Amino acid sequence: MIKNYIIIAFRNIRRNMSYAFLNVFGLTLGIASCLVIFLIVRNELTYDNFNKANRTYRVTLNAIDFNSNVSMAIAPAMRTDFPELEQVSQVYYRQNPLVKVNNNRFIEKQCVFADEHFTEIFNYQWLAGDPKTALNEPNNIVLTESLAKKYFGDKNPVGQMIFLENTFNSKVTGVIKNVPGNTSLPFQFLVSFETIKSRMKDNMSNFWAIGGGFFTFILIPQHYSIHRIESRIPAFLHKNWEKDVGKDVHLPLQPLKDIHFDQRYINNVITPTSKDTYYALLGVALLIIITACINFINLATAQAIKRAKEVGVRKVLGAQRSQLIKQFLGETTVLVLMALILGVGIAALFLSEAGNWLNIKIDAGQLAEPIVIGWIACLTILVILIAGLYPAFVQSAFQPVDSLKNKTGHFARGFTLRKGLVVAQFAISQILIVGTLVVAHQMDFFQNQDLGFNKEAIISMGIPDMSKLEVLRQDFANNPGVKGISFSSGAPSYNNNFTSFSAPAFGVTKDDVTEVKFIDENYIDMFGLKMLAGEKVTKKDVKDTSQTFVANETLIHKIGFMNPHDAVGKRIRLNGRSATIIGVVQDFQSESKHKKRRACALEYNAGVFFMASVKIQPAGMVRTIDHINKSWSSLFPNDLFKYEFLDEHIASFYTQEQKVYTAFKLFSFIAILIGCLGLYGLISFTASQRTKEIGIRKVLGAPIMSIIGLFSKEFILLISIAFFIAAPIGYYAMHNWLQNYAYHINIGAGIFIIAIAASVSIAAITISYQAIKAALINPVNSLRSE
Amino acid sequence: MQEAKMIKITDLEKFYRTEEVETIALNKLSIEVKKGEFVAIMGPSGCGKSTLLNILGMLDDPDDGSYMFNGVEVAHYTERKRADLRKHNIGFVFQSFNLIDELTVFENVELPLIYTGVPSAERVKRVEEVLDKMQIMHRRNHYPQQLSGGQQQRVAIARAVVNKPKLILADEPTGNLDSSNGNDVMELLTDLNEQGTTIIMVTHSEHDARYSHRIIRLLDGQTVMENIMI
Repeated sequence: MIKNYIIIAFRNIRRNMSYAFLNVFGLTLGIASCLVIFLIVRNELTYDNFNKANRTYRVTLNAIDFNSNVSMAIAPAMRTDFPELEQVSQVYYRQNPLVKVNNNRFIEKQCVFADEHFTEIFNYQWLAGDPKTALNEPNNIVLTESLAKKYFGDKNPVGQMIFLENTFNSKVTGVIKNVPGNTSLPFQFLVSFETIKSRMKDNMSNFWAIGGGFFTFILIPQHYSIHRIESRIPAFLHKNWEKDVGKDVHLPLQPLKDIHFDQRYINNVITPTSKDTYYALLGVALLIIITACINFINLATAQAIKRAKEVGVRKVLGAQRSQLIKQFLGETTVLVLMALILGVGIAALFLSEAGNWLNIKIDAGQLAEPIVIGWIACLTILVILIAGLYPAFVQSAFQPVDSLKNKTGHFARGFTLRKGLVVAQFAISQILIVGTLVVAHQMDFFQNQDLGFNKEAIISMGIPDMSKLEVLRQDFANNPGVKGISFSSGAPSYNNNFTSFSAPAFGVTKDDVTEVKFIDENYIDMFGLKMLAGEKVTKKDVKDTSQTFVANETLIHKIGFMNPHDAVGKRIRLNGRSATIIGVVQDFQSESKHKKRRACALEYNAGVFFMASVKIQPAGMVRTIDHINKSWSSLFPNDLFKYEFLDEHIASFYTQEQKVYTAFKLFSFIAILIGCLGLYGLISFTASQRTKEIGIRKVLGAPIMSIIGLFSKEFILLISIAFFIAAPIGYYAMHNWLQNYAYHINIGAGIFIIAIAASVSIAAITISYQAIKAALINPVNSLRSE
Repeated sequence: MQEAKMIKITDLEKFYRTEEVETIALNKLSIEVKKGEFVAIMGPSGCGKSTLLNILGMLDDPDDGSYMFNGVEVAHYTERKRADLRKHNIGFVFQSFNLIDELTVFENVELPLIYTGVPSAERVKRVEEVLDKMQIMHRRNHYPQQLSGGQQQRVAIARAVVNKPKLILADEPTGNLDSSNGNDVMELLTDLNEQGTTIIMVTHSEHDARYSHRIIRLLDGQTVMENIMI
């Protein structure tokens, strides 16, 4: 019996090659997309998947704002006050460390200065060295596999020397496998914390000294409630915080598994993402697979008329309905399995490519993991049931008396369902178009609009030695390609420093927090910050101890001035000292748009100009940068020149959104393509069914346009119905998504107009070929074929 | 002893309803067919011949009246029970052959055996036997479209008899054939009848009807005449 089903399934596929192709191709794309999405989502949802992850917490600070960095004094104090903790580890996380190996210099992405407890909490895979001792001594270094290969080739790296940050002469004591891509603490090498401990003494003395990059992790014992630690934190703070601990100071214990998703801690370096985003992506996967199944149902029920005679004959010969249902499900299974094999193949081929687009590590090897295989099996069964059950029930329901006489009038019902499914497909594609457009607009808004400063053609680089500022300025200025130079503690979207402020004279007695940027006299003009009142920051002599600064709008609003001119000349307390507002600048976006703009003070202080920003002429940009490189490198021969375009830096705040946007674009396109395949199949089927009608109409004098209109009219109606379903759903979903951001676009009517226009155009392109072909056919031929 | 009755229908009624019109297809029709008989049913188009055949073949329900098949009342059997009774007892031959295009000659003939659960080896034996008998063994791997009308009808008859049914229902079996092929088919049916199979045949052809033992003539869903053939 089964053999018979399989035989007939294959013969049917062969006889209806074009429909089989549309079905299999659509399902193949659907299955491949679902697999890729599944692996993307799994990659995100399994961030920081260490053995002891469920017992690991990061000690963070919440004082006015959430901060993942805490003082170095916290870890030793916790070790003393919470003896039940299995491990307490502190690390110093460093971006762009400079490494010198055998006279070759490299700037790596990140490294971690980690104490000896670190490897007890995080189970990296060790290839050489002893995790228990490798980080015990000062100047010990543990490389990841790929870095060991890069530095030492096939030589044994253990025992080799590495010169770090032009300061530390370190010995390699171990090699670990590369850390997985989905970790909140990515690094290329570890350095023993002892290496920097003595230099960091100042930061270790008290609880309120918060250094950027200092993280503290704790490991609680098994079957131990974190609440037992949390409940003792206030007393712990009270005991160890030397100043008076305000009510607003807390040490939240953040579960390791939450770090990737906890957007309260977002800043310019750490960009947590929202789980909802990935659930939404799973939703897109579901929509894609539904679209492919709808194709299947539509084409199968449309073709059912052709199969009616066969059903009748089989019933006359004694087939039970259940046997026929099994037969049709069997045929669906054959097609789905073909699509599955192709889909898995395509997914395997394109996985690493998709990973590259989305900047995540996924590869074909993951398809062989048991959980993925289980998921593929579930997906297959789901698709077989969704795609196969309804057509099987419809087809097996034919009464032999009717079907043998070709009395299939009750098909009208099937056609209504098909219309409903086509509406669903249009609605899905319109929702995805709206979603993609909203994400695209928001991405543009993030990076290009309403920043409050000029980011075009500006590069920034570090300055290792501040005594050479003037020489550097002269060198750069000699280059005709350089339009402007500014030194600062950071360009508008870099390196946030914060300090306290109050304004007792204006009733603000409680300390609040403001960002502070140390800038030179060129900064405001070069970045195009807009002055609202008063004067710009001017150059000050080192001996000049008067504290003056330019405030932004938010800062003066906090002090109680709505009119910028009223604020000029007023004195407030900034970082514990009296300071005068000499000017007011319009707010600008110094952080990602996830967050509300903060108060900001701009102050001249040549002692902390860590960064040079250079505005360059667009013409001859490569030559100019090359010249800058030469000037910079000759001044700082021990360092490696590294620069970044400001707009790229801003884009880096939105890497998570960029991932989602890329995924949305890709998968929306696929969903729409699958929908088009189905529509094409359906229209070609309708055209062949209506050949006779078209022939008669033409004989009676119908012009070609009216025949084309015959096909188009119906689809335009369906698209319009779909639009009324899709528009509110799309609006609601995307409106909710936008609420993740402090600053976002408003969803305008334009997006919906584009969505429906795109929908109509896509449908028109899809149906036009078949409609025109049907309209042009010679009625003599179409009537003779009846 | 009374001759065994295979079929006894009494006051059988069947209506076709649309929203506006009710058509009477069978109007209190009563017929008996004995085991081993060869009966022809004739009448003009729309007289209810095919409706009768469908009800006799248990493909359709009567609206009223009684249908005794081998002494058992089947008029209100469920679809499943009818299918079961049908597949073990009745073979069908249609005017338009109704072979499944996607299956070969062999597979078409094998189909009823599959649905009655005959084991594979036995199926091969029986299909080959019947194909041999119908003289189309050499076409066993061909598809229906590759055969002439006469050959297709032989395959259809082979399919109808492969399960050794007690009753064959033939709906204008020669309607799509030329006279030579038509005569061959009638000879085949006569042979089957002589071997003991009961045959009920709907036909428009007086020539074909002469092969039968008895002709029942219908008009407007009622018997108007019965001729006993000599």
